[in-house]
Amino acid sequence: MPIYAPTLPPAPDLHLGQPPVLVLMRFDFTRLWRQKIGRFFGFAFLMLLLWKVARIYVDHLLHTNEAFKPMQDFAKTILTQGADFQADLLNPASYLLWFLVALVGGGLVARDTLYRVRPLMYAHPVAPKDYLLAKLGFASLLPFTILLPFAILPWLMSLLLAGFHGPVWATAPLRLLPAMAIASALMGSLAVGASSMAATPRAGIGWVLGLVLGASTLASMIHGLTGIAAVDALNPIMLAEAWPQLFVGVERPMVAWLPAFLGTALHIALWTFVAAKRTRPSEAVI
Amino acid sequence: MIAFENLEVRYAATSAPALKGLTLSLDRGIVGLLGPNGAGKSTLLKTLLGLLAPSMGSGTVLGVALDAAESAKLRARIGYMPEYDALIEDASAYEQVAFWGELSGLAPEAARDRAHEVLYFVGLDESRYRPVSGYSTGMRQRVKLAQALVHSPELIFLDEPTNGLDPDGRRRMLDLVLRVHAELGTGVILASHLLGDVERVADQLVILDQGQIKAAGSMAGLRKALAKRVELRFLDPLDAAQEAALSELGAVLEARNGLYDLELTEADPRGAFRWAEGQGATLVQVTPRHDRLDEVLLRALHPQTGA
Repeated sequence: MPIYAPTLPPAPDLHLGQPPVLVLMRFDFTRLWRQKIGRFFGFAFLMLLLWKVARIYVDHLLHTNEAFKPMQDFAKTILTQGADFQADLLNPASYLLWFLVALVGGGLVARDTLYRVRPLMYAHPVAPKDYLLAKLGFASLLPFTILLPFAILPWLMSLLLAGFHGPVWATAPLRLLPAMAIASALMGSLAVGASSMAATPRAGIGWVLGLVLGASTLASMIHGLTGIAAVDALNPIMLAEAWPQLFVGVERPMVAWLPAFLGTALHIALWTFVAAKRTRPSEAVI
Repeated sequence: MIAFENLEVRYAATSAPALKGLTLSLDRGIVGLLGPNGAGKSTLLKTLLGLLAPSMGSGTVLGVALDAAESAKLRARIGYMPEYDALIEDASAYEQVAFWGELSGLAPEAARDRAHEVLYFVGLDESRYRPVSGYSTGMRQRVKLAQALVHSPELIFLDEPTNGLDPDGRRRMLDLVLRVHAELGTGVILASHLLGDVERVADQLVILDQGQIKAAGSMAGLRKALAKRVELRFLDPLDAAQEAALSELGAVLEARNGLYDLELTEADPRGAFRWAEGQGATLVQVTPRHDRLDEVLLRALHPQTGA
């Protein structure tokens, strides 16, 4: 037999809350935390980060310690150097990051569809644009947050060991951060668009992976058939890897500036449009 | 609490209106919203929540105009309990009620405090920390009611709140609805197919069909207006000519041992006395047959055939 309270106390103030976008993003973060999928990915990314940081130290030793002088030339042949090395800092494991985005992002909208909570959200002071912004923001912030230590820690290590003349350029974060932001927005919009088409989180994961791998395969096939390299700009995996290369000025980037810009804009616009259409209030059947 | 003037709502500019010519004024209280499937109840709730803009006419809810610019402000003052299971299965009742409170504008700490209070109010005590996926139907319905109440709305919409509940759970839920209005002063719009639920708690009734209001008003007034069914008792049995003339008063439903059940043409039964005087009969008793709500509903929906 339930015990009922005598009555409810007076109403609290409704004007001290946070914006709905922030509330929705915080709730998604709590959900992600509960899923505990971060343990595997946390370990994998931490190992990759340690390798990147150790690499800076090794590079420093090769340049400063006479005992390692004979190894310098050999190291130059097997390890990336110059601009390629800077761009490579953000390429810890491109496929691993895409897989994480698919696992997390695939369920972002689909879970709300499965539990039918989106109509209830719209029955609160939440506008469709708030919902969309929260989902896109969360899905984009996730890869950005993971990439952030890869841009900052090796740079700090390099500064500490060798000052402005270390293996990581002093201006590297200024070049890498915008590239990270663009690549993260690409990943986030694709994940949210795909998730909005799915009825369950598992289907959402399938949609993200299907779209990413499908677009990659399609781009490769067209490239192979026509010989037009610019078609690679349809490949989201290649685009995410190309942006750091473009910003640090790699000699032969995977995709040139204009195709990269057009391809990224197309993906972001298309998948944001799909997500907006699929989450509009008219879908909110009460 | 709610007022409309010639309200019309369309889902698309070219589609037929889902609601047409709605003119209505409702006082704060518990309003029962009745109507068959496709009558426009959900469309009306969506319009009241500001999710659909009127294509014609005007309306106010809690004094706020029904237009897109004001809809967010309006929704902060309204609570909504959907018919279906809109619960976040992987979260506890406490977590999700706090979440809905925050979405309504409460600060995080206030939302957490309020979630405890409101879950206690609806009768969920220690179980509020468990994921709702393990809840019974009754507990799930109470969580849905709690999320509608967490921000202390001035008005709540309850869509089939007793769906799937056993008789005891149904009674408890209706008790809660009555308490919400009586203790918190919250206006309630109760959409239900279970006429007994509406009959028990509502003090006003709106009957919708094909997007139009078929009847609206207080329960007592509505019953009185629609209650044309009476039983007539005469001192002496009527002769054949008098019985035939009874049709002047209305349709004779049943005749037995000097008692006649009639569906009067006019709502005022005093006309029966005048008719009896004219026929030379002695009418000794007119008993109104108080209609049950289902009869009121059917009569409102099918006025040409009666109940």
